[in-house]
Amino acid sequence: MTFDLSALQGDLWPYALLILVGFLPSEIWRWLAVFLSRGLHEGSQILVWVRAVATALLAGVVARLVFSPSGALAAVPLALRCAALAGGLAAFWLGRRSVFAGIFAGEVLLVAAAWAYGAS
Amino acid sequence: MISSDETTAEVTEASASHSPLAEFGRGVRHALGYPAWVVGFSLVGVGSLAHDVGHPLAAAVLSTILVWAGPGQVIFYGGLAAGATLPALALAVSLSSTRLLPMTVSLLPLLRRSGQGLGQQFFLAHYVAVTVWMESQRRLPRLPAHARLPYFLGFANACLAVSAVMTGVGYVLAGALPLPLVAGLLFLSPLYFSVSIIAGARLPADWLAFGFGLLVAPVAARWIAGGFDLMATGLVGGTAAYLAGHLRSRRGSA
Repeated sequence: MTFDLSALQGDLWPYALLILVGFLPSEIWRWLAVFLSRGLHEGSQILVWVRAVATALLAGVVARLVFSPSGALAAVPLALRCAALAGGLAAFWLGRRSVFAGIFAGEVLLVAAAWAYGAS
Repeated sequence: MISSDETTAEVTEASASHSPLAEFGRGVRHALGYPAWVVGFSLVGVGSLAHDVGHPLAAAVLSTILVWAGPGQVIFYGGLAAGATLPALALAVSLSSTRLLPMTVSLLPLLRRSGQGLGQQFFLAHYVAVTVWMESQRRLPRLPAHARLPYFLGFANACLAVSAVMTGVGYVLAGALPLPLVAGLLFLSPLYFSVSIIAGARLPADWLAFGFGLLVAPVAARWIAGGFDLMATGLVGGTAAYLAGHLRSRRGSA
């Protein structure tokens, strides 16, 4: 940043940081999307591609959070993190495609594993 | 329990009504069914991080309302705690939020109305985050055009409000939660994303994109530096899935 931020030091500092370093860097993608989505119609092929890109990006976020987590989750062994994820997906299928059942089962498995592996 | 069959029933019920307020209320109710709580609980950790870097409670809650992107908020507070330089931190937050671009591009056409100004589009775009996007992709196409906007606003505002409160709860509870529960909260986002993507997949391309993304991500993380690996994962995995889905459907129809 080229301008002087120190004028904002003090009580307002956390809010200035939040807007300049948190809000604007994220929001810019949403603003850009408003312009890029003009003229695109529901059901068009390009939207199928855009949705696939978004889904793959999201899978990338999942991979990062599961394969190389931070904090308390890192104390649970990788194999058990993967097992809890697989268990959640299995419960989704077995529970008649219930998203809630999948989340509940995966969470129970993960918290139990964290307890067993001394994340305390 | 919530299942896809119930979603169909909900939607049939919705098309009978014409009042925007009723649609808004339906959106709120469906969000409170479970999606708002999932995203809310996943943001408890953000409140704790904000507490640990010494920011005020109001700033923590405001971060959820303004940034409205969990991973970006984690990087923001985690980076402040680690003493990252501000330009580097802004770039890291921005790169982690790249997904908001394709998500918003694919969602806005579902909410389009004639005479919709730029201001309203910026306003609607702000609500786009993973939970709102995934649930909207699943629910909006089956709603009649007039019902979509009020339903979306009800759904998204309920998610945002619950999440803002839960961020505050996390701030107050910082350090008091047992670690296995903290691990469970951190696991909530990847678990929910995975199950919801599978539940919401409509085309082969959607399925394949998730699988390809999981496979490409570790490779990209290893070979592509500077935080651009997520962007590469999305473009490579998504394009491959689109092409594969396209080939499959062509072979199917031939």
